Amino acid sequence: MSTGTNRQPASPAIPAGPLTEKVSVRNLKFYYGNNLALKSIDLPLYDRIVTAFIGPSGCGKSTLLRVLNRMYDLYPGQHAEGEVLIDGRNVLGPDQDVNALRAKVGMVFQKPTPFPMSIYDNIAFGVRLYEKLGKSEMDERVESSLRRAALWNEVKDKLNASGQSLSGGQQQRLCIARTVAVKPEVILFDEPCSALDPISTSKVEELIDELRADYTIAIVTHNMQQAARVSQFTAFMYLGELVEFAETAKIFTAPSDKRTQDYITGRFG
Amino acid sequence: MVDVAIKNAAHGRDEAENRLRVLERFRRGDKFFFHLTRSAAFLVLVLLFAIVASLTYGAWPALSHFGFDFLISQSWNANTEQFGALATIYGTLVTSLIAMLIAVPVGIGIAIFLTELCPAVLRRPIGIAVELLAGIPSIIYGIWGFFVFAPVLQQTLQPFLISLFAPVPVLNALFAGPPYGLGILTAGLILAIMVLPFIASVSRDVFETVPAVMKEAAYGLGCTTWEVVRNVVIPHTRAGLVGGVMLALGRALGETMAVTFVIGNARQISASILQPGTTISATIALEYAEASEGLYRSSLVALGLILFVISFIVLAVARLMLARLNKQEA
Repeated sequence: MSTGTNRQPASPAIPAGPLTEKVSVRNLKFYYGNNLALKSIDLPLYDRIVTAFIGPSGCGKSTLLRVLNRMYDLYPGQHAEGEVLIDGRNVLGPDQDVNALRAKVGMVFQKPTPFPMSIYDNIAFGVRLYEKLGKSEMDERVESSLRRAALWNEVKDKLNASGQSLSGGQQQRLCIARTVAVKPEVILFDEPCSALDPISTSKVEELIDELRADYTIAIVTHNMQQAARVSQFTAFMYLGELVEFAETAKIFTAPSDKRTQDYITGRFG
Repeated sequence: MVDVAIKNAAHGRDEAENRLRVLERFRRGDKFFFHLTRSAAFLVLVLLFAIVASLTYGAWPALSHFGFDFLISQSWNANTEQFGALATIYGTLVTSLIAMLIAVPVGIGIAIFLTELCPAVLRRPIGIAVELLAGIPSIIYGIWGFFVFAPVLQQTLQPFLISLFAPVPVLNALFAGPPYGLGILTAGLILAIMVLPFIASVSRDVFETVPAVMKEAAYGLGCTTWEVVRNVVIPHTRAGLVGGVMLALGRALGETMAVTFVIGNARQISASILQPGTTISATIALEYAEASEGLYRSSLVALGLILFVISFIVLAVARLMLARLNKQEA
């Protein structure tokens, strides 16, 4: 029997060998109008590693995520300074094709967002934007994406049903399948489980664990157990600053900053 | 002790009675309110029935005299008492069709621009302009159409269309000259301008109901703005769009004043949409004063009944389409 006091689940092991830096955030500042929301962030995201962003509400973790695929571009008055290098190339530059970037950096949102179309088309839609596939190839891609998202067995007999007819947890896995289908290199999860029940949450977590083998993953979460369970590196942010970035095991057992320690032990947040 | 107990019990009984009285009063109030609102609702049914009944009653002499011919004859002659509705039905449907062909894409385009693309500083001025356009009384469209718009069309668009389509078979009949300025096309264009703000503002309102995160999800896959609108925004809001378009169509079918000014009022069907024509409402508006009795008057009422039926069919089709869309959704 476990004693049950503050026991942290073990985080996934970090693979041996040197880590490659897939995404490098360099001296990033972000503004909502004149309001400075990110104060000079420097952070690596390693290839085939899950990095968790934790911190109290309003600390800038979702903002940071939305810089990585330039989602902020949709809103006038928001702008970023500094650099975000993906494979060594700055994606914040004016010459970056934003649509191509977003196809390469997929995103899964807090609320499930199935499109108003069939389950099949929800997956095929994104694929069709960039690839011309024949019917059978598309069928294959849809199936493999749904399998990837552990949803295939539940929906294989109703691929023509509306994506919005699925349960919340299924919808979220559909969104993950849809993201995977366009073959991104980086996947951003913005509190993917905050609208889900515990069983769906654990399914999504298992999924992230499997996706780790092929993608660079960043996940924003309010749930510290979740960060500990799924991530290998953790970034703790506070008031727009990156306070501490280290291996998850270290953050949760021996944080070097007092604020990190206060946050993970529940003293504020 | 016993005294106190009795007193308490009496007090309790008083309170319970009091409570019952209050509840009874509430119940009566509720009942009164229920009857009041129900009568208001029933009033609509009574009015509708009364209008249909008097239309049918008034139209009966003409309908029984001409029979089915009333619907398929174009002759309209008060001296010989020969009346047929075909030219007016044709004009009503064709002007509305032209109006919708133009106003639906433009109106939805305005809405897309306002909700998805417009810089924040322009959003309010354009939105207000659209609403002002909706507020202009139709008589103003009528005189403007007659004195300004039709002469301009006569000089510019109509000669251009005539020469453009002259070598094309079929289409050259549709756009045959001479350019009068007034006519079916002009009426259709005026109607398009009049219903445009309806379509634009209803579309804008329904587009704004699409959750931002839904659009972000589509952008997140790498969609362009057009792809987001085409595949997410419009499918998400199609029920509302259909509603807005049908509302506009209903208005276009019944619009009287502006159309009467610019359609030319010729009671015949021409192959060319540049030629004058008429509509049901324009005919009624022009002739009700002289048609004091007999078949003439009854024929005008019959036109009104036909317009009513057309509007009803439009409404019914809209409902059916919505029901089918909702079924597909489920």
